[in-house]
Amino acid sequence: MTYPRTHAAGRRAGTTPSRDGGRPAGGVRPQVPPRRGPGGRRVLAALLVLGLLASVLPWWLDTPAGSLRTTAATLTAAGRITGLVAGYLLLVQVLMMSRLPLLERWIGGEQIARWHRDLGATLLVAVLAHAALILVGYADLEDKPILTEAGVLLRDHEDMVSAFAAAGVLVLIGFTSVRAIRRVLPYELWHALHLASYLALLLGFGHQFSNGAQLFRPGPVRTLWIAMYVVVVAALVWGRVVAPLAFNLRHRLRVADVVAESPDTISIYLTGDRLGELDLLGGQFFRWRFLTRGCWWQSHPFSVSAAANDRWLRLTVKVVGAYTRDLRDLDPGTPVWAEGPSGTFTAAHRTGDRALLIAGGSGITPIRAVLEELPPGSALIYRARTPADVLLHRELDWLAQARDVRIWYVIGSRNDPGPRQVLTPDGLRGLVPDVVRRDVYLCGPPGLVAQSLAVLRQAGVPRRQVHLATFEL
Amino acid sequence: MRRALLAITGLAASTTAMVVLKSGPGASQVAQELPAAGQPVAPAPDGPAPTDGGAGPEASPSGAASPRPRRSATRAPATRPTAGATSGARLPSAPRTSSAPARPTTRTVTGPVVENEYGNVQVRITLSGSRIVDAVALELPEETAQSDQRSQQVDDRYSGTSGLVVQQQGADLDTVSGATATSTSYRQSLQAAIDRAN
Ligand SMILES: Cc1cc2nc3c(=O)[nH]c(=O)nc-3n(C[C@H](O)[C@H](O)[C@H](O)COP(=O)(O)OP(=O)(O)OC[C@H]3O[C@@H](n4cnc5c(N)ncnc54)[C@H](O)[C@@H]3O)c2cc1C
Repeated sequence: MTYPRTHAAGRRAGTTPSRDGGRPAGGVRPQVPPRRGPGGRRVLAALLVLGLLASVLPWWLDTPAGSLRTTAATLTAAGRITGLVAGYLLLVQVLMMSRLPLLERWIGGEQIARWHRDLGATLLVAVLAHAALILVGYADLEDKPILTEAGVLLRDHEDMVSAFAAAGVLVLIGFTSVRAIRRVLPYELWHALHLASYLALLLGFGHQFSNGAQLFRPGPVRTLWIAMYVVVVAALVWGRVVAPLAFNLRHRLRVADVVAESPDTISIYLTGDRLGELDLLGGQFFRWRFLTRGCWWQSHPFSVSAAANDRWLRLTVKVVGAYTRDLRDLDPGTPVWAEGPSGTFTAAHRTGDRALLIAGGSGITPIRAVLEELPPGSALIYRARTPADVLLHRELDWLAQARDVRIWYVIGSRNDPGPRQVLTPDGLRGLVPDVVRRDVYLCGPPGLVAQSLAVLRQAGVPRRQVHLATFEL
Repeated sequence: MRRALLAITGLAASTTAMVVLKSGPGASQVAQELPAAGQPVAPAPDGPAPTDGGAGPEASPSGAASPRPRRSATRAPATRPTAGATSGARLPSAPRTSSAPARPTTRTVTGPVVENEYGNVQVRITLSGSRIVDAVALELPEETAQSDQRSQQVDDRYSGTSGLVVQQQGADLDTVSGATATSTSYRQSLQAAIDRAN
């Protein structure tokens, strides 16, 4: 069943009502931001691919044609190629996690996380192939059993103990990132293990230059390879230290108020200095650190749930675990450390002027902020299990009028006939006949996202018009 | 995950392709046409050449003048010194600077290229009358950091105007420990050069 503009009853079970209904009371009126094409993202992707080719080039130039005529030579050569690839990919992986503002705004944290996951698997395979091929190749060359050769490598070759350790660290990180395993680990443990990748970077550094056939000689190749390390370390320092420091000293964010939106959802209002100068788009997120006892050591990503204005910032948080539970008790005045903004789930990344937005549960938060900046005439489908789960209802009504948004609240469980009917190609076309020409903004739980993606594909919406926020880093 | 599988498949396929392009005489034809191969492409040496690179046409005759020829960083266009060439005749750009003042009695004799599993070794000696006054390694295995390091040990011990070759006046030299293969090949090339000189 669909309820156009339903006023869900019994929604507000919280103690304090939302302070000002989330409207930018007297703040700057949000403007429709100019479009940012995918150009920046494509340039960055192309640069990364070029870098990959360039890092294998020294091997190609060093190896005369026709010179690989024995098994040992062939295996060793493949080992060198995979080694160069692995060395490069490791740097790219760390660079992508550097939180460089450029990357966070052009590619976006969530997209980076997806690339990082896919490249991570590739890196792991490259590292293992490199180690295995070199080992077998050398063993074949020197006519030794593989285990003996491993001993020789560790004993006689410089920096190989740490190189093996680096490979071990990467295997551990890769293993704990397999989805099924990651899901059962506490996030903090997984994250701490992942930080060990810096150790891998350090431990793997030496052997490339003491043993790498293309790198052990001083020369331009070696110099450039070291320069890549310098660039990555500089990006880390900039993205993780300098830029956040500058941001937080400039804006000095602090908690203004915490209000209940529903029994299990709160909104946190923040104030700070010079908020009007924030380079923030609706739909972007920050990584927040609330500086109280118990909370300061964790940073969690939350989207802003209203467009930027010069008076306040707001995040709307669903209580799902220990950390989000503690956020309910934040005191006004608590200082907040924020890193961001990040993300491309914004009105600026639209490809056309009309949009369909699909939100599920707490996925409404970034969508609510995007709506404020989209050109008028959007359509919103809001999935919620029960009327009590509908969030930010008054604001959505206000947006429906102010920005001419058509809203359908689709209430019920996934198997109810109403929701089932809406999430079909025909159901979508019934509500939004021109859906194939619209940008689609999609945010919600994984099940809804997967199902919607499939339906959108069947309905013929081009993939580049679909914008995803998955709440997954 | 689909993209990860694609990337991994791509990695495997392109690594294989590159290795295949650089292997075998048939394939080298293809490789020669690739502009990326900025390497002087010479006919592959005869006989098995187990390590890559070291067996390639890398001996730079211009480097022969320096005491450590294989360290020349530039990979200058190289003609492969023909095994058994006597006197520097086939090595046009090899002016002698260090140890052989142009005395009429001085001549150089180059030994053959001796291959071992790590690469090639080729030795050239300078004689004044029948006395060896200098020994230079034109080529030594240098493909990996390990073999480069060993080659350097052998070179330091054997070559030069005051190296073991000059001291012993023959090829009956102690093996440099840890570098047996390179020592042996060095002595073979050296012995052949001495034989040729007499
Ligand atoms: C880009 C992005 C935007 C988000 N925006 C919102 C929002 O606007 N409103 C909202 O309610 N939620 C949002 N989330 C989800 C929110 O970050 C998690 O629900 C929250 O971190 C859970 O913490 P917890 O300790 O209470 O729960 P837990 O039970 O400990 O964690 C639940 C799940 O949340 C994820 N998670 C936990 N800690 C972190 C962390 N430090 N960093 C990243 N992921 C973590 C893990 O996948 C974990 O399995 C967003 C997530 C992302 C990635």
